[in-house]
Amino acid sequence: MSMNWVLLIPVLPVVSFLVITPLPRATRNRILWLPVATMSTSLVLAIAALMKVWPGGHGEEPVWQLSWRFATLGGQSLSMGFALDPVAAAVLVVVTVVATCVMVYSLGYMHRDGRVGWYYAVVSLFTSAMLVLVLSSDLLLTFAMWELMGLSSYLLIGFWYELEAPRKASQKAFLTTRVGDLGFLLALFVIYANCGTFELHEVLGAAAGWAPGVAALVAGGLLWAAMGKSAQMPLHVWLPDAMAGPTPASALIHAATMVAAGVFVVARTLPIFELAPGVMTVMLVVGATTAVAGGLLAAVQHDVKKVLAYSTISQLGLMFVALGAGSAVAALFHLTTHAFFKSLLFLGAGVIIHAAHTQDMREMGGLRKHLPITTATFTVGALALAGVFPLAGFFSKDEIVTVLLHEHHYVALGAVLFASGLTAFYVTRLWFRVFSGPEQSEELHEGHRSMVAPMVLLAVITALAGFASPSFAEFMGHEGKWPELSVALLSTAVAAVGIGTGWWFYGRRSVVVNTQVWKRRFSYGYHALAQKLYFDLTYDVLFVKGYFRLSEAASGFDGTVVDGAVNGAAKTYVAATGASDGFDRHVVDGAVNGTASFARLVGFAFRRIQTGRLQSYQRLVVGALVVLMLVLIVTRGA
Amino acid sequence: MRVGLEAFLMLGAALFACGLYGAVSKRSAVQVLMSLELMALAVNLNLMAFARFRTPEIMTGWYFTLFAMVVSAAEVGMGLALVLAIYRRARTSEVSSLTELKG
Repeated sequence: MSMNWVLLIPVLPVVSFLVITPLPRATRNRILWLPVATMSTSLVLAIAALMKVWPGGHGEEPVWQLSWRFATLGGQSLSMGFALDPVAAAVLVVVTVVATCVMVYSLGYMHRDGRVGWYYAVVSLFTSAMLVLVLSSDLLLTFAMWELMGLSSYLLIGFWYELEAPRKASQKAFLTTRVGDLGFLLALFVIYANCGTFELHEVLGAAAGWAPGVAALVAGGLLWAAMGKSAQMPLHVWLPDAMAGPTPASALIHAATMVAAGVFVVARTLPIFELAPGVMTVMLVVGATTAVAGGLLAAVQHDVKKVLAYSTISQLGLMFVALGAGSAVAALFHLTTHAFFKSLLFLGAGVIIHAAHTQDMREMGGLRKHLPITTATFTVGALALAGVFPLAGFFSKDEIVTVLLHEHHYVALGAVLFASGLTAFYVTRLWFRVFSGPEQSEELHEGHRSMVAPMVLLAVITALAGFASPSFAEFMGHEGKWPELSVALLSTAVAAVGIGTGWWFYGRRSVVVNTQVWKRRFSYGYHALAQKLYFDLTYDVLFVKGYFRLSEAASGFDGTVVDGAVNGAAKTYVAATGASDGFDRHVVDGAVNGTASFARLVGFAFRRIQTGRLQSYQRLVVGALVVLMLVLIVTRGA
Repeated sequence: MRVGLEAFLMLGAALFACGLYGAVSKRSAVQVLMSLELMALAVNLNLMAFARFRTPEIMTGWYFTLFAMVVSAAEVGMGLALVLAIYRRARTSEVSSLTELKG
């Protein structure tokens, strides 16, 4: 039986994008049911696809594949290929579930916005691109979708383009990820030069025969690209600023799916990385550093969404650690659970922001009483993020810890545990600051039904997804097992310490800890964190200012050399024209005028003899005759 | 002695020179006309002389001279009429004051 209906999963959302985009704004805003309906259909189809692949684990051969040639360049054919394997099927479901939840949620969250139709169109486009990327079995297609997601991300971050911050953030995000994308391009060039194809399966098969440097180059390029897309240090700077976009879009793109695309692509191409141990180590270091630094930065933010953004950076760092340790399954499982609980937290943050009319946690408090459902779902998400049993985050984080233990990466293990503790700390801080304490406002209201329902669904998934841990691994074709008790106890202890510290600082009702004292005590460290570890400052000095200096130098070069050359050419031309003009005026006109004035001169001279006296004419005639006769006589005589 | 062709030619040349001088130098239009007649006579004289001494056997020269004299007579008639017309118009018959053709 043909399974080409799988293709409908990404095609349906793009159809709704294509239908909505050309419509006038008012019509667009009235047919929001269309993107929601197509996305729900995609969700159903994705679940059907998962059923087809179930129980998975069947090695290399995908359940369904489709490929066609779309261009032939210089005798080399370029093809688009799709393949449905367990990894793709699982991520398809994750993406469609989160996208559907976000779309339903946005019905309530965005309904007052005048451009909500355009918002839905771009979200549809984005989801379609993500779904194609997941299904793609061809690196060129993957790259195209990678860029298309970058574009949608840019459009959604800058959705409120009339404000300055979203505008700047969208440009920053686009440019920073572009810096990473150069690595992807480089990897593609090297792959094509060595294999002559972009087909993932063939590339992975041929990779074993590459020279060691080639694999390192490809892996390095892909890692760099993934670091840009998945906001790993030092390319993470765009993600916190990207929070300027609509909150549901942040939930979908900057928490659950697009930022996970880097992890996904690396997981897909992990065999190439395994040929380059150096790159694997770099990935481990980058992931561990990002996990810790992201956690530290999240702990000092006051903006709800920024806390969650740094948290996302930190959690993506954990996934890179898992990949660096060689475990695609652990990374993908954490990707899956993280997608659910982080989008849940973002959707909750959206309700909080709507209710409190601010994003600053210092101005919030006591929301617990007025937002019961949001509080409950947010708590589930927060505990899952902190890694508390039996929620999803606990299982996926433990899997990473187990992998690190087995691979003997003890430094990375320490970093991951520290990052987990930090995660527990800042999420506790967030929770107490927002939900407990004195009430700041009286007019609090729970979110609309359409906003609450997706959060409840995601909370249920978050609560239960962890128990799928062994079956997920088996589905991916690995040995599935529950976390070991020692690991579970270790990580639970870490989470407890983090939560306890958070409670000690922010949760105790009797003793109010003066955080100012602690800030002063660690003023250097706090200052560094408040300045985002100087990343933006460094980039500003190095790249932005440097670019300005370069521009000035270029402007100077332009002003003196280029303009000089142009002006010199112009001047030469003017001089040449002057000469030509002079020639024209004096020589050509001179010849013409000279003829005329000669004629005039002659006329002037001869008019003297035109006296009108016939006798004088006669005299001349006679004189001339005499002269002629004399001449005749003389010549004859001679 | 016998008067030869040369004597007639010399006389004709003298007459012509006199006529030419008069035509060129005289102020009165009538005198100029008379001088022109003198020159015409010199030409006729030459014609007669050549006819007498060179081709005595044919009469062409004689007849031609006769015609020329007739034409001269008519010419003088018309010339005098012109002089009268000029005088009526310009109140003078002095050739030197007729400068309307001046360029």
